[in-house]
Amino acid sequence: MAAFLDIRGAAKSFGGTAVLGGVDLAVAKGEFVSLLGPSGCGKTTLLRIVAGLLRADAGTVRLDGEALAAKPPHRRDVGVVFQNYALFPHLTVGDNVAFGLHARGVARAEARRVAARFLALVQMADFAPRPVQALSGGQQQRVAVARALAVGPKLLLLDEPFSALDRKLREMMQIELRRLLRELGTTAVFVTHNQDEALVMSDRIAVMNMGAIEQVSDPDTLYRRPATAFALAFVGLSTRLDGVVTHDAGGDVTVQTAFGPLRGPGRFMPGSQVTVGIRPERIVFGRPRAGDNAIRARLRDLVFQGSRIQAHFTSTEHEPVVVESISGVPAGAEPGAELDLSWPAADTLVLPRQGSA
Amino acid sequence: MIHDRVGWLALPAVGYLGLAYAFPLLWLLSRSVLGPDGFSLAQFTGFLADPYSWRVIGNTLRVAVWVTLLCLLVGFPTAVALARARGAAQALLLVAVILPLSVGVVVKAFAWQIVLRRDGVLAQGLVALGLADEAPRLLFTETGLVLGAANVFLPFMVLPIYSLLRLVDPRLSEAGATLGATPSYRFRRILLPLTMPGIVSGAAFVFSLSVSMFVIPSLLMGDRFQTLATLTGRSFLLMRNEALGSTTAVVLLVLCVAIVVGSAWLAQRIGRPGAAAEGRAPRPASRA
Repeated sequence: MAAFLDIRGAAKSFGGTAVLGGVDLAVAKGEFVSLLGPSGCGKTTLLRIVAGLLRADAGTVRLDGEALAAKPPHRRDVGVVFQNYALFPHLTVGDNVAFGLHARGVARAEARRVAARFLALVQMADFAPRPVQALSGGQQQRVAVARALAVGPKLLLLDEPFSALDRKLREMMQIELRRLLRELGTTAVFVTHNQDEALVMSDRIAVMNMGAIEQVSDPDTLYRRPATAFALAFVGLSTRLDGVVTHDAGGDVTVQTAFGPLRGPGRFMPGSQVTVGIRPERIVFGRPRAGDNAIRARLRDLVFQGSRIQAHFTSTEHEPVVVESISGVPAGAEPGAELDLSWPAADTLVLPRQGSA
Repeated sequence: MIHDRVGWLALPAVGYLGLAYAFPLLWLLSRSVLGPDGFSLAQFTGFLADPYSWRVIGNTLRVAVWVTLLCLLVGFPTAVALARARGAAQALLLVAVILPLSVGVVVKAFAWQIVLRRDGVLAQGLVALGLADEAPRLLFTETGLVLGAANVFLPFMVLPIYSLLRLVDPRLSEAGATLGATPSYRFRRILLPLTMPGIVSGAAFVFSLSVSMFVIPSLLMGDRFQTLATLTGRSFLLMRNEALGSTTAVVLLVLCVAIVVGSAWLAQRIGRPGAAAEGRAPRPASRA
């Protein structure tokens, strides 16, 4: 069965620079998929192509079985929540939400009723007669969501809708929006450079880098089994060590690193340039058990983070070895001390080094 | 009181305007209401009772309306192009709009005389394009006057609209599109209301300039066609009739003040978001 939203080979260049290099993405009905990547990775370009606000150089976009290429944006049934919300400054809150309904010729009384219903869904029921300038950032964001949803789009696109909000409000809005979209069964594609947002909200995450999708998977798999060194570095904290494969024992490789030989699952030709990755909460203090990887490193900083403590160790790489612990640090763990660290070999990520593929 | 002290900065302007503008204006006003027997409105009642006066007022308003409409029709798309253009193209367009302001109006009026002649480019162009069988008469017609005046006053329509358009976020139109609004609906319900204050002030500029223009109708129409402004000029310069001249001047002044005050009120009313919606509460207003 074909996907609800089916993007094949979407490509776009601006002035000779390829911004999007033939991207494929399939989104199921009712699914919430995030496009996660640094600025300039092409995620907003892809979003604008789907919305019809930008013409792709190549590729096809199908929504609910229909090709979208020939359709102008106002005939696509694709709603957008813009980064700056783009509320109509000359209209009231209620008229902003009813705008799409009026444009589609819905009768006034009906439009007002539907607008009121969606304003209530985003807890803005009392705000209908107010001018939009009088709203706070969070309130504007709610109105923008209500406006986009009121016309009942087949697909909702969200372009970094939380970036202008402070952290507390952002976290609250993420959970609220996710619940609302799940209740309405809305299919959504969400653009963000914020990995926390993507991890919290998404059914699946597409990690984008330099105009290509590097990995599409659920948040748990993305975090625990990143497919590329970029995905490892971009999502969550990690310690990354460059190394060279010295031995492959059939799915279990040994990598020579600055901290000595380390083992991990993977299949590589001996001599391959790889990046060894370890998540900070996998590393424990103390001597290894059988089958563990072990290193000895010099403690540089301790960073207290409330529910957990972060220990940074000096490394030969440009980034430190990071350990996160919820049970505190051993006695004598002071900056400058040499400590034993270990983690299960099975939790070691061995990935092709970026740029050596 | 910092506020009060800052107010003194306006003193030079107030003094200048008082001496160079208000005083002569009061003198003019006094000439229109002071007869040999003291205060009298006879000048006005006499003027307004004469059908010829009404033809002159009609000429003035009709030409001004046409000039304003033509400026709006040509000026709005120009302003949009100006606001959308980038870099060198924008600079070039801006210069093309503003530079003609530095050419004296007499020069431009004479230039239009040449353009509007029967053997001028306009008439000959219409014939060449097959839009006219023979070269139409344009000079000394109202059509010619409207064409010439609209050309001279066009920047006063383009610039206020352009300055507002620049402030309109292009995402608003995109947002409208993704909500299902056709391009024409977006124009009517987003771009037009947001630029309406600019349209109103541009129209007020052009209309005020058009009702009071003197050189352009004198050169493009001649003496047979009189407006309030040309009649005022004639009364003072040729007929030596100060009473008539001051009366027509005051009528013109009242018209102009009405336009300025009326358009300021209109612009403020349109510019306030949600203002119109409050006025008709039971209906969900589609535009404010």
